[in-house]
Amino acid sequence: MKPMLSTDLNAVDTTVEKAKIEVKNLNFYYGQSKALKDINLSLPERSVTAFIGPSGCGKSTLLRVLNRIYELYPKQTAEGQVLLDGKNILDRSQDLNLLRTKIGMVFQKPTPFPMSIYENIAFGVRLYEKISKAEMDNRVEQALKRAALWNEVKDKLNASGLSLSGGQQQRLCIARTVAVKPEVILLDEPASALDPLSTAKIEELIDELQADYTIVIVTHNMQQAARVSRQTAFMYLGELVEFDRTEKIFTSPREKRTQDYITGRFG
Amino acid sequence: MSTALSLHRSRKRKNSVMMALCVIAAGIGLAWLALILGALIYKGLAGVSPAVFTQMTPPPGDAGGLLNAIYGSIVMTVIGIIVGTPIGVLAGTYMAEYGRFSKLTTVVRFINDILLSAPSIIVGLFVYELLVRPMGHFSAIAGAVALSILVIPVVVRTTEDMLNLVPNALREAGTAIGAPRWVVIRSVAYRAALSGIVTGILLAIARISGETAPLLFTALNNQFWSSNLNAPMASLPVTIFQFALSPYEEWQQLAWTGALIITLTVLGLSIIARSLTGRREDR
Amino acid sequence: MTAVAEAATSSATRTREATVRRFAFTDMVFRGATRASAILVLVILGGVAISLVTGSWEALSKFGFSFLTTEAWNPVTENFGALAPIYGTVVTSAIAIIIAVPIGIGIAVFLTELCPRPLRRPIGIAVELLAGIPSIIYGIWGLFVFAPFLQTTIQPFIINIFHGIPGLSSLFAGPPYGIGLLTSSLILAIMVLPFITSITKDVFDTVPAVLKESAYGIGCTTWEVTRRVVIPYTRVGIMGGVMLGLGRALGETMAVTFVIGNAHRISASLFAPGTTISATIANEFTEADGELYTSSLVALGLILFIITLIILAIARYMLLRIDSRAGA
Repeated sequence: MKPMLSTDLNAVDTTVEKAKIEVKNLNFYYGQSKALKDINLSLPERSVTAFIGPSGCGKSTLLRVLNRIYELYPKQTAEGQVLLDGKNILDRSQDLNLLRTKIGMVFQKPTPFPMSIYENIAFGVRLYEKISKAEMDNRVEQALKRAALWNEVKDKLNASGLSLSGGQQQRLCIARTVAVKPEVILLDEPASALDPLSTAKIEELIDELQADYTIVIVTHNMQQAARVSRQTAFMYLGELVEFDRTEKIFTSPREKRTQDYITGRFG
Repeated sequence: MSTALSLHRSRKRKNSVMMALCVIAAGIGLAWLALILGALIYKGLAGVSPAVFTQMTPPPGDAGGLLNAIYGSIVMTVIGIIVGTPIGVLAGTYMAEYGRFSKLTTVVRFINDILLSAPSIIVGLFVYELLVRPMGHFSAIAGAVALSILVIPVVVRTTEDMLNLVPNALREAGTAIGAPRWVVIRSVAYRAALSGIVTGILLAIARISGETAPLLFTALNNQFWSSNLNAPMASLPVTIFQFALSPYEEWQQLAWTGALIITLTVLGLSIIARSLTGRREDR
Repeated sequence: MTAVAEAATSSATRTREATVRRFAFTDMVFRGATRASAILVLVILGGVAISLVTGSWEALSKFGFSFLTTEAWNPVTENFGALAPIYGTVVTSAIAIIIAVPIGIGIAVFLTELCPRPLRRPIGIAVELLAGIPSIIYGIWGLFVFAPFLQTTIQPFIINIFHGIPGLSSLFAGPPYGIGLLTSSLILAIMVLPFITSITKDVFDTVPAVLKESAYGIGCTTWEVTRRVVIPYTRVGIMGGVMLGLGRALGETMAVTFVIGNAHRISASLFAPGTTISATIANEFTEADGELYTSSLVALGLILFIITLIILAIARYMLLRIDSRAGA
């Protein structure tokens, strides 16, 4: 393993783990205004990383750079490097659709497509794979089981995805994301619109998924970050203030700003 | 004290007067419109018979029906919709999806709004210069093209509006599982906006099925049955126009009946269109 | 074993890449099609403008500016002037708007402030449905029902009342034909009424409830809230709606053609028959023989197009302003 320069404040002890995503000197602009300032961090494979910070700190922006979803909008530009398995995904030659099959994303509000539960999952699979009906049935079932939704919907797979409850919809979105076999899953405040019970289910799910996927979660809920993540990045005003193992961030942060935030003195 | 009281009283009086005027305005306006519909139903129903739907338009002084006019209206409306709808939907798609942030969209939106409310007789003149004059004769095709030009702005407008109502999160979600833009538009955005887009198309049908002015010098009229698209073709509105202004009683009666048919069609289409979007708003 | 697995992966990668290329191609085609359609909208309006200019060229180059100022319209001597139709168009539309606007605003106030809640939606919907009724319906009603009614009752009555009063007596001079400028104006007013009402109602609905509530809170009457809060707040939007209605009235063809009387002259009396631009075109275009006659009619169309273009541009600009404020 290549030893990292671990003297600077952003370093995590990743020497024993392979980095799935490495962000290097990343700057991000909304038009003229700079939203991310020289971000450097490295996300280890098959573990959960949380981005926390007050609203407007750039945590969601950083997440949206990782699958380049920001490209849907004009005047949003990223500079620097984001390496996925050592390959720079900010490169112009990177095919965006292919990138997004590797890096899935789940959003703040549940976003079931206006189609049946079955189709919600089959839709993404069918895009890049030609598989038989039986295989597809199997894929849908596996994905729904993975998202702990199978038992609730197995009898109504042809019902509209919109007919589910909020928590179920969000798990459907996770199932949909899992079904296309990504390597990384990005979660943008996935439980903020849900009730406590559904939130607990989602968190449980995240915990199970990290065995197979590299997971990045943005959350404004610090307890949630403490519960689900292995490492936490604290961001403030577009800067990465501190990035370390989660228990370290929450028990003995190096930076005063981090301490102020997690003890509730601002934000 | 007493001045304050009298001021109060005069303010209240003024309020009552103005509010009464508003009620009267509503009464007059609605009564007037009811009067028109009442006359239409009364006079139109008098002429409704199977012959209206089975016989051709008669020569002056004879009895007959409106079959060829109804047929012509349907043919030209259908062609107008078939030609105009895809163009309108595609243009609206560009404005709400690919070109949402482009300058072209702003310009097209403005121009489209102008076209939407431009006098339809102008469109008739345009198609006359574009098709009738070069071809040397009036034709159903020219009429259908004129109608399609009226369809386009209506469909563009509703398609853009309805696609803009589709939450961006849904588009992002589609994009995030690796679907290319056209798949996101086709499978996610169109589906989510479907009832709205259909409403727009129905409203467009409603609009063109009563249009007279753009047909006057494109499709002209035809006393007889004709299914030749390259020849003049009768239509309900133009027939009504011609028959209503004639001195023959049979023709005038047919004009009323035709007017009733058109009105019921248009109202029916508008109500269906409305119930489609109404359901959407309730959700 | 691993070799087989690798071969499978690489073939999967290859199909994936082929899919990506196909997607990119389809996306390009689809994008191109949507863009071309959007541009077609511009081309159509451009085409309308160009065809009107070329079509009217002969008339405009022969008569020049005097086309706008000549009242004569003589197909036999081929001497054409647009003054009478322009006059008729402007006068009928102006009267229609003057009648329809206060009534339309009154109905909108009624619908937003006074109407019992259960009736609000049905009446609102009825008004909007009426806005979609084809104009030929208004025309046929005007010709067969309204004009005879005016001719036998209202017009003789008005002529009698104003007889001998300077000014008014010539404005309402007989004989009562039934059809004519005033009848057309009234029909147009009825036509644009649902239109103006529904736009006014829509912009009234954009007034924030807190604004109205705070005015009621300091003791304003309904009329005062309407007059001092709602109307000032929505002034631009109402103007936009009125302009759109005016645009409609100016370009309206069928409703007017039935009842205007088609006389190419400018009379002082509103009871006299006249003509409008669109009615002239509708009545004479198919029968026009000779290039100059046709060209003069197209020139009328061009004038109408320019007038409505200006009105509509103003209307859209105003409605745009209220939209952006509602959005902000």
